[in-house]
Amino acid sequence: MMADEATRRVFPTEPASHLRPRSRSVKSLVSTPESSFWRTFRSSTLHPSYLHLPITSLSFSPNSSLLAAASSTSVRVFSSLSLSEYDPDFDPTLFATLPLPDLAYSPSFRCDGALIAAGCENGAVRVFDLPNDKPPKTLRRLNAHSCASRVVGFPLLDHKLRLFSAGDDALFVQWDLPTETPLFSVPGAHRDYIRAGSPSPVSPDVFVTGSYDHTVKIWDARVDSGASSVLSINHGHPVESVLFLPSGGLVATAGGNTIKIWDVIAGGKPVYSVETHNKTVTALTLAKVRDDTRLLSVSIDGYLKSFDFSRFKITHSMRYPAPLLSVAFSPTGTIRVVGTNNGAMYMGIKKKKDEFEDQVGSDDFAWSVPLPEKPTSRKNIRYFKRGQSEKPSEGDFIIKRPEKVKLKEHDRLLRKFLHKDALVSVLKTQQTTSIMAVLEELVARRKLIKCISNLDNDELKLLLSFISKKATQPWCARFLMDLAKWVLEIRAEDIRSGGPEMAVHVRNLRSMVAHEIQVQRSLQEIQGMISPLLVIAGK
Amino acid sequence: MIVGGQSLVTSPPVFSHDGKKLLVCTGCTVSVFSTTTGMLITELEGHTERVTSIVVVPVAGTVGTKFSDYCWTASLDGMIFYWDFSTPDLLKKVNVQLPVHSFVIPNILSASLGRSDKASQNLYAFISVEDANKEVENGKHLHGSIQIYDLTNSTRAGGVLAETHKPETLAISKSGEFVGIKKQKQLNIWRVPNKNLKSVNMKKLKLHHTRTLSCLAFHPTKCIVAAGDVSGRILIWRGFGKMRHSQDGGGKMKIDMGDRPGVRGEDDADSCSTWHWHSSEIKFLMFSSDEAYLFSGAKEGVIVVWQLDTGNKTYKPNIGSPLMYFTDSPDPSLSCVSCEDNQIHLLRMPSMDIIKSISGIKPPLILSELQGDRSRVTIGCDRSIGFVALPTKDYRIQFFSLLDGTDISHLQVIERNYDPVDETTVFISLVEVSDDGSMMSTVEEKLPEMGIGGLISLKFWIRGSHTGQYTLSTIIYEPHNNAGVSDMAFCPGRSMAVSTSYCGNFKVWVNNSSFIHSGDEIQEKGGWRCQSVSSYKEIPMTAAAFSGDGSVLAVAAETKITLWDPLNNVLVAIIGDSLGPIRQLAFVGSSEYIMSFSSGTKADLVVWNISNLSTHWSYKLLVEDICCTRSETRVAVLALLSSSDKSISTGKDGMVLVFDVENPIPVSTWFVKKAKGGRLSFINNKLGEATDGKLLLAYINGEHNYVLFDPSNVKEQEDLIPKSARRPQSYAHDENVSHGYASIYGELPSFDLTKARSSDSIPFVSSERPWETIFSGSSHALPPLSKLCSPFLESLLEKAEKQTVLSQ
Repeated sequence: MMADEATRRVFPTEPASHLRPRSRSVKSLVSTPESSFWRTFRSSTLHPSYLHLPITSLSFSPNSSLLAAASSTSVRVFSSLSLSEYDPDFDPTLFATLPLPDLAYSPSFRCDGALIAAGCENGAVRVFDLPNDKPPKTLRRLNAHSCASRVVGFPLLDHKLRLFSAGDDALFVQWDLPTETPLFSVPGAHRDYIRAGSPSPVSPDVFVTGSYDHTVKIWDARVDSGASSVLSINHGHPVESVLFLPSGGLVATAGGNTIKIWDVIAGGKPVYSVETHNKTVTALTLAKVRDDTRLLSVSIDGYLKSFDFSRFKITHSMRYPAPLLSVAFSPTGTIRVVGTNNGAMYMGIKKKKDEFEDQVGSDDFAWSVPLPEKPTSRKNIRYFKRGQSEKPSEGDFIIKRPEKVKLKEHDRLLRKFLHKDALVSVLKTQQTTSIMAVLEELVARRKLIKCISNLDNDELKLLLSFISKKATQPWCARFLMDLAKWVLEIRAEDIRSGGPEMAVHVRNLRSMVAHEIQVQRSLQEIQGMISPLLVIAGK
Repeated sequence: MIVGGQSLVTSPPVFSHDGKKLLVCTGCTVSVFSTTTGMLITELEGHTERVTSIVVVPVAGTVGTKFSDYCWTASLDGMIFYWDFSTPDLLKKVNVQLPVHSFVIPNILSASLGRSDKASQNLYAFISVEDANKEVENGKHLHGSIQIYDLTNSTRAGGVLAETHKPETLAISKSGEFVGIKKQKQLNIWRVPNKNLKSVNMKKLKLHHTRTLSCLAFHPTKCIVAAGDVSGRILIWRGFGKMRHSQDGGGKMKIDMGDRPGVRGEDDADSCSTWHWHSSEIKFLMFSSDEAYLFSGAKEGVIVVWQLDTGNKTYKPNIGSPLMYFTDSPDPSLSCVSCEDNQIHLLRMPSMDIIKSISGIKPPLILSELQGDRSRVTIGCDRSIGFVALPTKDYRIQFFSLLDGTDISHLQVIERNYDPVDETTVFISLVEVSDDGSMMSTVEEKLPEMGIGGLISLKFWIRGSHTGQYTLSTIIYEPHNNAGVSDMAFCPGRSMAVSTSYCGNFKVWVNNSSFIHSGDEIQEKGGWRCQSVSSYKEIPMTAAAFSGDGSVLAVAAETKITLWDPLNNVLVAIIGDSLGPIRQLAFVGSSEYIMSFSSGTKADLVVWNISNLSTHWSYKLLVEDICCTRSETRVAVLALLSSSDKSISTGKDGMVLVFDVENPIPVSTWFVKKAKGGRLSFINNKLGEATDGKLLLAYINGEHNYVLFDPSNVKEQEDLIPKSARRPQSYAHDENVSHGYASIYGELPSFDLTKARSSDSIPFVSSERPWETIFSGSSHALPPLSKLCSPFLESLLEKAEKQTVLSQ
């Protein structure tokens, strides 16, 4: 019932899209605030060791001044302040190297950043202090694990004398540091290797561990209930990483190519499941993006993905050239580091100021009185142009001038029913797709044959040269072959009497046909060779 | 029973005397539409045949006639009715006994039926009737005749004025002075005397032309008549009838043969000029109400506005369909134009912008015979909501709601400029809507010229947020190489479709969305892809259907039905031979039967049993369409009666049969008209009353008239002829939109003459007349116009206000 005059558009003769398959890559990517945030990071690469050994774990100290990376038999500690001016020849960023007897795992800083603990392949857990000017010193050696102690962690809260560790021997221990004795020990906490663990952000006595037996268990050191956990959740895949989300009520688990969010308070109810990685998710960490918190996940498939767990949506993803094993994001929100399995660390350091933050910042001054505009006198040209470049404000209702359809020359001529002129004008442009579009339009109007018979000799030459150039291109061959046949049939007289130039075009056409026959013959040979193979494959 | 789909453009529409209503002939009824909303207000029901013309009684005075809406209507059933169309009530019936094709009432202003005073004259009408039984005289079939009829006394007044080959349309000048018809290559014009209207008193004036004329129009005041011919020329005779009509009954005056440019022979006119712009038959001519312009229209879809004095022309393009009629309203800012695609556009007059469109169901697509058997254009049907998707000539699909009888939306399928003059070389040959309406596929064909070019493409559409809104999902060019697509079917409950082709294979299409990584972003890519291609002995595949649960796909390979597992692309079974190539297949509900029909010389209708792969029952019937319910075992069949059976009743060339599939004896039968090209469909009844989950059967005939009925309620053998009709969509009383003068200047204050007289105070005109003082002064010292304008207009306003105060 609407007046459909406005919807009656003018359609130009489009370059026929069926002729050329459109490229599937989309160039203009949608820019979201999130992607602009991630773009403000300047990326660099760091090779902590010249051996290509995987970087199994990364950790930032709570005040962001230090970064610990576990690879091969040492934990390297970098000063994050100097990471930005990292020079590959001279290595001043290396703050310290912690000596460990075997392959090092899971470095963990204490909440004040003064101590660092790390696990080891032979099961030892060592605690070092990190004085500013002296080399690090081993403070404590905690020996309880019989196999690799893969998970070592200080509590997140202000509880400086405790440490927990878990390992491949399925033993889970909470240590009292000064005495080097276990306070709470669960042998056989899982039925397989424990490879993931995380302290609770709200309680110093609550931990979560994840194991290759597909389960995630929550432990409370205050409840001495033997080998049984407070809560056990089945993730469905071997668990590679677990993480308490900041509220302490949700736990994120990663295993296989899925990340799952569980509600611990509701008794381990699954909240959401993300399956965006193509391969095993290896590590999770939290990142501060502006005022929000995101869950970063890295995977063997080389992708780092940012997941907004308040909206349950993947907000950003980044690709790296190698399988990723570990990820860390500095608590200040300025550095992100990913570790790969070939010894390289990829860093992003936030350099630019975020555009978004700029806007927020400018809000503080919005109440200040704007400067009065300079009045323009009548002599000034601006007086006459005033208001022309006025930008509409947000609440304004914009009435746009009806957009003028820009028509090309041949479209204008087609609208005037000057079919032959349109054909000639488009032939002069030499744009194959446009020419094909006009030819098809002429067919639809039943005017092509008439046009061909009305062309004069010069225009006929144009058409012949186009045909002889393009007739064998597969995407317009069917049309142009038929057309060539008709042109030769209708204009045989003119071609014969057309002089030497016409003869050149016809010769070109002939050689094109000969060449095409050659091509077809060789294609048939190939087909003859392939078809028996296909028949065999079909059986 | 719901009936709809009548053409709105069989006859010219007429405006009511205030221009707020538009009376449109829709089949046997007259529909009254509101011109402000474009909605149906009411319908005048009473005629039993097509209504051909309407005459609205103009309002003579202004007092007390605010609500008088009277009109005369004439129909092919030989009756002329007098209506009050505001209520609507039938006031008077006049039986003419012959089919009336056109009628005019010249002295309608001076004579009014309602008046009781004897002084008023009888009401006479010129009627153009068809007399099919008239004997042949001198080898000429003169079926049409023009007569005068006395409507007051219901008697024929005098003899026949003129006889024509076929009934002609009468034209009348605005003053009622002249009445004319075109008669092949000449115009016949009568001057209507003021009194004593008798056919013997009538003098006929003839104006000749060399080509067959197609329409004529009289100038509102002057002696000018314009006529259009079949070649697109417009002839304008000025000063006609000065000699003949001036002298009453006298002998022939000597005609001054000199100085009469363009006038042929002894024609009685001062001059005749010819204008030529249109390339085909002129469909309408109309003088503008200000007497300065002439509007003309033809197949091009362009209204040409001719300046009467100079012959200069301006155009109103982009109407997008061949034009039929142009009607102006008493409101000078409103007129309407009827298009061949069953639409009436209301135009805002000087600018000719389309304000509103009243659109009916689109007429069927008529293709040239190039396609032979394949020229069957199918229409899609959504069962759940009850709308049909009709391909239109201008490369769109119209979604039409059968239940409401309204146009829902239009969808541009082919991005090409439509020119009504072109012959159809690009068209939508197939529309298929999935059962739930969420997916749609269209097949469009470009016909080659002398073997060059030609393209078939298949498009898949996904439904948007509301009904009738679809967005393009995938285009597939040349889905079966160069061969045409014979049928499409959607799998219920799955994003799967099948297309069959004449080249001997069929393809199963699936819609799978996938993620494509590009750079740092994830791109969601969805689209329809070919899942599998299969063929059966290279036999052309002609039809396809999915079973109700989507687990079995039946594809007709000419005379055989092949059953496939669509997921694994495995041939399950073959059911053997029908007599001719199968045109359509349908699974009967969830039962074990499948139904097929074939056309051609060996037409048949067969019900096959899938479980034992045999024929259950069959008929030798020429079937046009079949339709099955998804749950029940009822099937409806639309069969064409062969020409020998046509003696059953006139005009009824088909029948609708409803079977229970177990039993070859039909449950019920109805005879229908124009069954060729018809469609049947079961749709869900959503119309509040009498629902109880029953399905309605929709029958759409070849001219896209349709009827919806409950097959279990309507009695057998009963005619499918309208009894109850559509519900009005709006009521006249909610419209308080002002028109014409009032729309520009606002309501005039009601001016009470007597009161103003009785009061002593004479209307006070302020002595200070600001518009004089404002403009006084030398011209170079005048302030700018922008400053002058507002005080001037304000001064006008002030004066009016004071007057109103005083008058109260």
